[in-house]
Amino acid sequence: MTATTLPVRSQPRAGRTAPAGLARLLRVELRRNTMPWVLPLIALVFWFDSYRIAATLPPLWNSRTFYVLGQGHSLIDFAPFVAGVAAWMGSRDGRRGLTDLVTTSARSRFAAQFATWAATAIWAVGGYLIFMTATFWALSRSIVWGGPPYWPVAVGAVGVAAFSAAGFAAGAYFPTRFTAPVAAFGGLLACGMSSQIGFQSYGGWGLILPTNSNNNYGQDAGIFYQFLPDLPVARVMFLAGVTVALVALLGVRATAGGLRLRHIATVVAAAGAALAVTAIALAFTARVTSYGTVIPALHDAANDRPIPYTPVCGQAAGVPVCVQPAYQAYLPDVTAALRPVLGQTDGLPGAPVRVGQVATVFFNATGRGPQTSVGQVSTLRGEPPVLSMPLNVFNLPGSFGANQTQFTDEIKLQAVHAIVTRGGPLGDPAQIAVEAALMQHAGIPLAAQPRQVLAPSPWALPSNEPHPGTTYPRQIAAAAQRFAALPAATRHAWLASHLPALRAGRVSLAQLP
Amino acid sequence: MTAAEVHRPAPEAAPPPAARPVPGWLRLGWLYLISRHAPGAAAVLAGLGAVLWASLHWHWNVAGGAAAQQAIPLAIETGAAMVIAVTCYGPFGEPERATGRWLPYLRLAGALLLTAAAFGALAAGSAAGGLPGGIPALLRNVAGMTGTGLLAAAILGGALGWTAPLIYLVVTEGAFAGSWTTPWAWPTRPPHDLGGALCAGAVFAAGLLATTVRGARESVRD
Repeated sequence: MTATTLPVRSQPRAGRTAPAGLARLLRVELRRNTMPWVLPLIALVFWFDSYRIAATLPPLWNSRTFYVLGQGHSLIDFAPFVAGVAAWMGSRDGRRGLTDLVTTSARSRFAAQFATWAATAIWAVGGYLIFMTATFWALSRSIVWGGPPYWPVAVGAVGVAAFSAAGFAAGAYFPTRFTAPVAAFGGLLACGMSSQIGFQSYGGWGLILPTNSNNNYGQDAGIFYQFLPDLPVARVMFLAGVTVALVALLGVRATAGGLRLRHIATVVAAAGAALAVTAIALAFTARVTSYGTVIPALHDAANDRPIPYTPVCGQAAGVPVCVQPAYQAYLPDVTAALRPVLGQTDGLPGAPVRVGQVATVFFNATGRGPQTSVGQVSTLRGEPPVLSMPLNVFNLPGSFGANQTQFTDEIKLQAVHAIVTRGGPLGDPAQIAVEAALMQHAGIPLAAQPRQVLAPSPWALPSNEPHPGTTYPRQIAAAAQRFAALPAATRHAWLASHLPALRAGRVSLAQLP
Repeated sequence: MTAAEVHRPAPEAAPPPAARPVPGWLRLGWLYLISRHAPGAAAVLAGLGAVLWASLHWHWNVAGGAAAQQAIPLAIETGAAMVIAVTCYGPFGEPERATGRWLPYLRLAGALLLTAAAFGALAAGSAAGGLPGGIPALLRNVAGMTGTGLLAAAILGGALGWTAPLIYLVVTEGAFAGSWTTPWAWPTRPPHDLGGALCAGAVFAAGLLATTVRGARESVRD
């Protein structure tokens, strides 16, 4: 047989070996990557900054993951390190002066860089997912009801990939030894600015930031109703678009490979940028509903269904008190707080025959300001009357500085105010005085009420200063003291005959006994 | 023309200017700084000084308590320490160590020089006014954080030396949030606090010592 009689190869060998070669390259890069050496350091930071805080919060998924996922601290802990290490990996060939050498190798420059980035991202995202799994497992040990939100974890994972792509691209384009610390510093600043904007932004493009918890994380999401995935889906789109665009930028350079590859990379980079811009545009269409931020184009109506549950009940002064099972650890506090209030109002016209927890819902956060726009407060409705009481997770003891006294005092105030006004805005002077007397007999001294109980509530006393009033007006204080000094039976008898008129605002301060 | 004539200057050519001899120690120091990319580091430090100036001039701030007020200046000081940390390692490794007895002194001088440059750049940046704690706190924070970077370079390697100041920043933010009073979290202490200054100085001295004696750890996993 001569050479001319040899059969012509139907397909080039490279076509079959390329995927295997790329996989082998990826394996090599996974072994030679710097990221695993930094993961223990990130674990240290993650434990200190995220887990340590989360573990002290009330044992509800919503509360415990608010700091880690809602405010994005898990991503903040990863981002600077991932950006720095990715920049280090991206600048490797340039720092070693090997760019010309590797550009002339068999495989395209882009393929080699993609393998290096992919290995870095696999280590970083894998580390993030492992840390989050361990965090969920550790946090879940004291949580009795519900499950963690998964979409925000996806946001964090894609965010880690985005920071790795940003760092890698910076390293590839500016291959110096200072690119790594500068990329880490940039990641740090980006996270800081993102947190800053996230704290203040309630709409528009600021919603796309993974550190923004406003109107989409908290309240009773995951307890009474679903964590709405609309905004997390838009964030995943945004971060994935940024990642794709940045990685594709590596293929745009003249040294990346052939003309076809560069054209494809340009198209993919544009597609990634378009995806990111689309996500931002979707964020502009977001609106706040009771259950959180809804993006109409991404919304699934099935997520609007409340989560079914069987309430857990106790007794306070003979009145059944029921809470959602996620809050069962706080039922003794709730009944203990309600007992001295309901003990005073037992048998009064319109007094509650049952107390039931209702969902704390999302609404326009700006509505918390003016006193006339009372937001989520206990109300007394129905026949027979039922006291409907929202228990905000942020008021629970141990939540961001709240303590047990504040929690129980808030419940007492909510109950008293609902019984006297049915749950309206700040009452008239006579209503305020009667509420003050009832709260005093429920264990809150009269002098302490304005500062400790009323000021942080929706019924802060008016003041000429920027801060709420810290004392009752003299006439109200005098009437409250006078009413509180009455024997319990006399007070009860007066309320039995005058409570409907008091609720209707037809009793003046002077008419109080 | 013969080969021997090549070395003779043409009769009409002007005599070469007399080269001023550069002292050997100066040339050695300059070569060392070049090998550590010190000019690049100085440029980045100047950039950080400019960022600090801009942040103070335009009142960039982060909403929140004491930690938030110092967040941006501290982050910039951390950035300066990170840059100094990555200047610790050189490209020559074993041959460099084997050929000169001056290397420890050069490392010490290089670290001191860049720390001084960082302090100078950030002090110039703070001229916009309003730097929390003023110049004393700046000096203490830069020195202490640079110490963490130098220590990390000696332990983890020069390539990863930048991670330690970053970790220290996170711990400091936690110390602010938790109202810690330990002097080891020196940015949380008042600017003239002796304990904080001593701790920052001790960490800086330890970092300098480690850098001088051992240098940055070399890792094959560059």
